Amino acid sequence: MKLSRRCFLSLVAGGAAGTALSPLPWKLADDSSIWSQNWPWTPVPPDGEGTYTLSTCTLCPGGCGINVRKIDDRAIKIEGAKDHPLNDGGVCMLGLSGLQMLYGPTRIQTPLKRAGDRGQGQWKPISWEQAIGEVAQKLGDLRGLGKPQSLACIAAKDTGTVGRLLRRFMSAYGSPNFFRMPSVEDAYEAAIYITQGAIGSAGTDVNNADFILSFGSALLDGYGSPVRVFRANSRLKELNGTVVQVEPRLSNTAAKADKWLAVKPGSEADLALAMAHVIISNNAMNQTFIADQVEGFEAFARMVQEKYAPETAAGKTGLSVDVISEWAMKFASARRPLALYGKGKGQVPGSLKEALAVHALNALVGNINAEGGVWALPAYDYINWPDIETDSVAAAGLQTPRMDGAGTDKYPHARYLTHRIAAGAEGIEALLVAESNPCFSLPNVQAIRTAFEKIPFVVSFSSFMDETAMNADLILPNHTYLERYEDVPVTAGVTQPTVGLCRPVVEPLYKTRHLGDSILQIAKAMKGTVAGAFPWEDYESCLKLTLAGHWETLEEKGVITAAGYAPGGFETASGKFMLMNDDQGAVYMADDVATEGNGNEYPLVLIPYDSIRLASRYVGAAPFMIKTVSDAVIKGQDGYVEINPETAKTLGLADGQLATLTTPVGTAKVGIHYDEGIMPGVVAMPRGLGHTAYDRFLAGKGVNVNELIGFVEDPASGLDAAYGIGAKLA
Amino acid sequence: MKQAQTKHQPKRYGMVIDLDKCTGCGACMVACFSENNVPFKEDETDKRLSITWMKVYKVTNGKKFPDTEVCYFPRPCQHCAGQHEGHSPCVSVCPATATDYGMETGIVSQIYTRCFGCRYCMGACPYHARYFNWWDPVWPKGMERYLSPNVSPRMRGIVEKCSFCYHRYQLARNKAYTEGRRTLKESEYQTACTQACPANAITFGDLNNPDHAVHQMAQPDLHHHYKPKNPHAFRLLERLGTNTKIYYVSSREWVRKAGDNYQVPLTTDSHGPENSGH
Amino acid sequence: MDSALIPEGVKRCSLPKFLLGLAVVSLVLAWGVYAMLLCWIKGLNQTNMNDYYGFALWIWADLAVIALGGGAFFSGLLKYIIGKDDLKYIINYAVLIGFICYSSALLILAIDVGQPLRSWFIFWHANVHSMLTEVAFCLSCYFAVLTIEYIPLILENRQIDKVPFFHNLSHNMHGAMAVFAATGAFLSFFHQGSLGGVAGVLFGRPFAYREHILIWPYTFFLFTWSAAAYGPSFTLFITWLTEKITRKKLVKDKVIYLLAKISGWMIITYIIAKSLDTLYWMYNTAPAEGFKWTFFFENNPFYTHWVWVAEIILGGFVPGLLLIIKPTRENNFCRVTATVLGILGVSLNRWVMVLQTMAVPVLSFDTWAMYIPSWQEVATTVLPVAYGVILIMISYRYLPIFPQERELNPIEPVAPAADAVEA
Ligand SMILES: Nc1nc2c(c(=O)[nH]1)N[C@H]1C(S)=C(S)[C@@H](COP(=O)(O)OP(=O)(O)OC[C@H]3O[C@@H](n4cnc5c(=O)[nH]c(N)nc54)[C@H](O)[C@@H]3O)O[C@H]1N2
Ligand SMILES: Nc1nc2c(c(=O)[nH]1)N[C@H]1C(S)=C(S)[C@@H](COP(=O)(O)OP(=O)(O)OC[C@H]3O[C@@H](n4cnc5c(=O)[nH]c(N)nc54)[C@H](O)[C@@H]3O)O[C@H]1N2
Ligand code: SF4
Ligand code: SF4
Ligand code: SF4
Ligand code: SF4
Ligand code: SF4
Ligand SMILES: [Mo]
Repeated sequence: MKLSRRCFLSLVAGGAAGTALSPLPWKLADDSSIWSQNWPWTPVPPDGEGTYTLSTCTLCPGGCGINVRKIDDRAIKIEGAKDHPLNDGGVCMLGLSGLQMLYGPTRIQTPLKRAGDRGQGQWKPISWEQAIGEVAQKLGDLRGLGKPQSLACIAAKDTGTVGRLLRRFMSAYGSPNFFRMPSVEDAYEAAIYITQGAIGSAGTDVNNADFILSFGSALLDGYGSPVRVFRANSRLKELNGTVVQVEPRLSNTAAKADKWLAVKPGSEADLALAMAHVIISNNAMNQTFIADQVEGFEAFARMVQEKYAPETAAGKTGLSVDVISEWAMKFASARRPLALYGKGKGQVPGSLKEALAVHALNALVGNINAEGGVWALPAYDYINWPDIETDSVAAAGLQTPRMDGAGTDKYPHARYLTHRIAAGAEGIEALLVAESNPCFSLPNVQAIRTAFEKIPFVVSFSSFMDETAMNADLILPNHTYLERYEDVPVTAGVTQPTVGLCRPVVEPLYKTRHLGDSILQIAKAMKGTVAGAFPWEDYESCLKLTLAGHWETLEEKGVITAAGYAPGGFETASGKFMLMNDDQGAVYMADDVATEGNGNEYPLVLIPYDSIRLASRYVGAAPFMIKTVSDAVIKGQDGYVEINPETAKTLGLADGQLATLTTPVGTAKVGIHYDEGIMPGVVAMPRGLGHTAYDRFLAGKGVNVNELIGFVEDPASGLDAAYGIGAKLA
Repeated sequence: MKQAQTKHQPKRYGMVIDLDKCTGCGACMVACFSENNVPFKEDETDKRLSITWMKVYKVTNGKKFPDTEVCYFPRPCQHCAGQHEGHSPCVSVCPATATDYGMETGIVSQIYTRCFGCRYCMGACPYHARYFNWWDPVWPKGMERYLSPNVSPRMRGIVEKCSFCYHRYQLARNKAYTEGRRTLKESEYQTACTQACPANAITFGDLNNPDHAVHQMAQPDLHHHYKPKNPHAFRLLERLGTNTKIYYVSSREWVRKAGDNYQVPLTTDSHGPENSGH
Repeated sequence: MDSALIPEGVKRCSLPKFLLGLAVVSLVLAWGVYAMLLCWIKGLNQTNMNDYYGFALWIWADLAVIALGGGAFFSGLLKYIIGKDDLKYIINYAVLIGFICYSSALLILAIDVGQPLRSWFIFWHANVHSMLTEVAFCLSCYFAVLTIEYIPLILENRQIDKVPFFHNLSHNMHGAMAVFAATGAFLSFFHQGSLGGVAGVLFGRPFAYREHILIWPYTFFLFTWSAAAYGPSFTLFITWLTEKITRKKLVKDKVIYLLAKISGWMIITYIIAKSLDTLYWMYNTAPAEGFKWTFFFENNPFYTHWVWVAEIILGGFVPGLLLIIKPTRENNFCRVTATVLGILGVSLNRWVMVLQTMAVPVLSFDTWAMYIPSWQEVATTVLPVAYGVILIMISYRYLPIFPQERELNPIEPVAPAADAVEA
């Protein structure tokens, strides 16, 4: 058939016009846009019945109440619990990110047994029976060899039913080697014990103070019970109160403080004692309190007069005598002054001298055991379990000294010297790790990891594949806090004994098991007195029995406080506050804690800092948190250090360039970030970065400051008192 | 019964952010991510590609150590009203009416399924409050379980921004209506960032309602495009005529000057680069 | 082989040579198409745009090609409405260039939007207050007009013209061309203007914002004016380039001089208006929004005072004067230089109005934002250039674009020397 040219061209033109006028192109346009509005790869969250579950956040020691919004069986949003005594509706970004941990990719979903070499990340899923059986078998063997003391346990806390079950297990088993992750509580507890004779945590009444003198405490970056402290700070803003921040770096706290006293790192004790000097010289102390309730004032006054004149402190701190005097007097003349001890979030115990000095300032102004002041808060005594019957193996094991030497004559003020675990690793045959990540968060973490290599049997109870779990032989994954019941006693600075209840917001998602149940089942599998020490069917019944009368209130309110608790007198022999005795005298007369690394080889000082946008304890920062971290802190995968432009320029370092940071402990590639808010000669780096475990949202970003900083033992307590380390940048 | 003949007054939802109290903690940012199904990627360090409906800027006074000062500016969408109600920079330019001004609420909405991603609104917004979905939103396997059904996740190729948690308004209004009420109590409609703020730095409510805290704190001047009468209060870039609904309060003068060019006399270099934000 | 398609009385190069040229340009086109597909399939993360640069290279390219394509509407206006009849010898080419520019702009827009499948929402859910809505409507309508203006040219192809229907259609369309030219001029006035309005209405962006006359900011009028001024320069430049490549004189000097003179006067008047607008902005608009004008040219590595020298002096007064003054206008080198400077000047103006607007910090605590396009953006911007070259090659070969070509290049029956001037 022959198609004429005319015919062909007309056909083409007619066809085009016909198609354009038909509904086809319009229908296609409409359908394609509807498709683009419903792309199958963009999720559509299913709707359902909305409910709220009241619980408690355990992601930091803060113990905030949370209210979790659910749709059917899905948790969709964490909110702060309104009317909670600590956070009254407020919540921090870590608490808000909890669901990313619950549903995140780093959850350990079933018991795992190591398949490849340690740390290689090769695992074989095993049954719970096998997991419990293998732990019981191994621990039984050690007892059989008469070496129960070679079992060690590291946990985040020693309180609450789970902390106590762990400790009870250790006692029944026969090992004194229970370790709590280090924190400022170690030093604060010691200072309170020494001065007040009381055993307990420091309750700081930030809510009623009108002048807070903070010695580097990250009031606005996670110190104490973080939201509680935030609220206190805002209250001070409303009432025109005063916050003074002593710190070498313009932290968030310093930025919002009424006065930032930029002192040289490590000179805080000198400043505190010089301020004491000023107060005493001006007779500005609380005379009644000193006269009635203080022992050793004259000795103390003599000591500061001799050794801590403001002129001396001026040289050490870098502040002028006038500034020291001015702020000392402002502190002393405030209505309710409060001096706070503990740097950053309080992850390092710090020096006993500094803790005592800060506490002494409080004593001079008479705010010990007073509203707006500080007092010793005893543990909430709701745990009354029957005595343990120890067998001979356990009794013998418990007679052996702790491997870290804590509580011995050498270290009488320390209960735990957990940073020393690396040194004692030779003696550890088996290690249990609960709710903590020592392979990331202890100083000189390389040494900790090397020590772990020497321990033949490491069991992790972690819910997440963290650095420590990576280095374990067996993982018995715990439920996350959103899947379990647990009592959460709060010590972090609270002034009333407070216990929150953490409860299952959702059914456990995976084949995990409550840490409490794991302990009970391991103990039962071991039979004998070990099993006998645990008369409970399971953890939940243990918890309910233990809480007994409190249970109903806890279920309903999510928290109980011993309302109306008021501190009593001092528990010292004289019944007075011990401002000075021989022990303290030795502490005060000793030199300051020095950093590692001398000034010639290491001209700079590297200090770690804490950010509320990062998590640096047991859990790692969630993707939401990392998303908020400034590009002055991480850029791409590189971590940046803060450095004063003046210092950087003398070193020939440009803003934004990469450099090598070297300390006596380690070396890392870091980016340079010019910051006018940091003292010349100091470089700062946040805690919580440089993870090697966790997911791609966290791993490999920035540098773990614990790879650059070691511990420095406080000569007075043996606790880790490192505030920084000598460093060089090139 | 006598029916009070009240003149209908539209709501004017807005915020007062106390910069003295704000600590820069960023909880508001994460509260917003979590409330509004905001996606995240492996690398969020390029802040110009990072979706943050609420963004906290760090601003310094530019002075040397130790006189350096820092202030944080939390920046949600400013829900601009413009010089006549509804003439927001972004709403006025959107060719497809995909972002709209709620005359009853003063809330600037964003209709994700209508937006076709021309990004003209982003160019129009002086506050960089608008974010484009350069990528498909992807949640790690299993994590999509926390997504809220109240806010639809956005597809690639469109713009999103702070909605003043509009779904919360809808839920509160529905509840009130079923209870036979036409007005919401102040506490019934609060945004996620306001609620989360651990420092209580954000106050949210109806700026037109003298009983609401935001009205009392900002003291908007109805005759001058709601300029604040409180001398410590200011709005970002007042002079542009955006007529925003986010008021900031600061006792520090340099902070007020950093946020609002209205406060700066024109003879000086009014727009200096001395403040750097991250 | 394709000689039956080639217009009568003109000489074209051999088919293989033509196809080889076509193949080379097609390679560039393919590169652009690949980048375009990447953008559509993977999304705009393929670009270096970001939340500060929602508008970038592509929008600049759009504004620039539309300004340069302004030769079509303005020549049409001059010929059909004002009665400059001599321009009929260049109007075909002006229309073709306009058609290329506008189809390119539409293609770039289709890549630029995040949801191309929904781009018709701009018509369906139109916001009449938006300059972009005005742009979309006028742009598509004017593109339709250009298509209508281009069709008769296609119909003049030797073979198509043989079909009586098309012959008559072409004839009738020619008759009605004045109507289309008027429509085109009207539409162009608005869309060129509304493109200027796109930046000028941004009252949140003090660098771009301008006061209004009625509902239109000053930039509305400046954009129309500049398109009318520089569009003819672009037509002249491309004509010159085509003549260089084909090694033939295609349009008589008289026609060229006429268009050049008009372009020159338009440029001069435009640049005076632009200078006044700038002064007004410096001393009134910017300060009223709280900014000192110097702020917009400081503290950044790129946008400093050279921008003004380049745009206003080198890209405005210099080409304007060169085209107005008779000796320079009629000097080949000077005239071509003037058109090139003009093209660069107007392109720089469009760049500054889009890219510098995005770069300037508005919040006092923000910083300048700099941007370098990704290769995908560059490739997709080069794509329309390659497409334009191809369309010109085909059109030139098969359509009687230049009415004076036969007269200026008579084919000598048997002249061996003719081979040398073959193109
Ligand atoms: N196996 C096992 N180990 C445990 C526990 C367990 O249950 N089992 N419990 C753990 C717990 S919860 C705790 S709190 C610790 C408790 O263990 P320790 O902290 O060792 O408790 P104390 O023996 O009270 O230690 C206080 C120290 O202060 C010293 N001291 C007493 N009075 C004064 C004084 O006036 N001045 C000065 N300078 N020093 C004084 C004492 O010499 C003593 O060394 O043990 C922990 N270790
Ligand atoms: N005098 C004094 N009082 C103290 C302290 C102190 O050092 N000295 N420490 C304080 C501190 S820091 C803490 S954490 C608490 C915790 O101290 P306690 O309330 O006494 O609890 P545990 O530390 O578990 O118990 C310590 C010893 O009691 C035995 N024991 C273990 N389990 C149980 C049990 O269920 N019931 C009973 N009755 N005995 C058990 C074990 O043999 C173990 O060696 O006590 C506080 N009170
Ligand atoms: S402050 Fe601590 S306890 Fe409170 S929400 Fe944040 S992580 Fe949880
Ligand atoms: S949550 Fe509150 S304190 Fe924290 S950054 Fe936001 S506004 Fe500021
Ligand atoms: S802040 Fe930006 S996005 Fe929000 S209303 Fe104003 S112009 Fe629009
Ligand atoms: S990107 Fe979406 S919302 Fe913004 S102007 Fe374009 S269509 Fe409107
Ligand atoms: S009001 Fe709602 S949407 Fe806006 S920033 Fe706050 S939480 Fe996000
Ligand atoms: Mo204890």
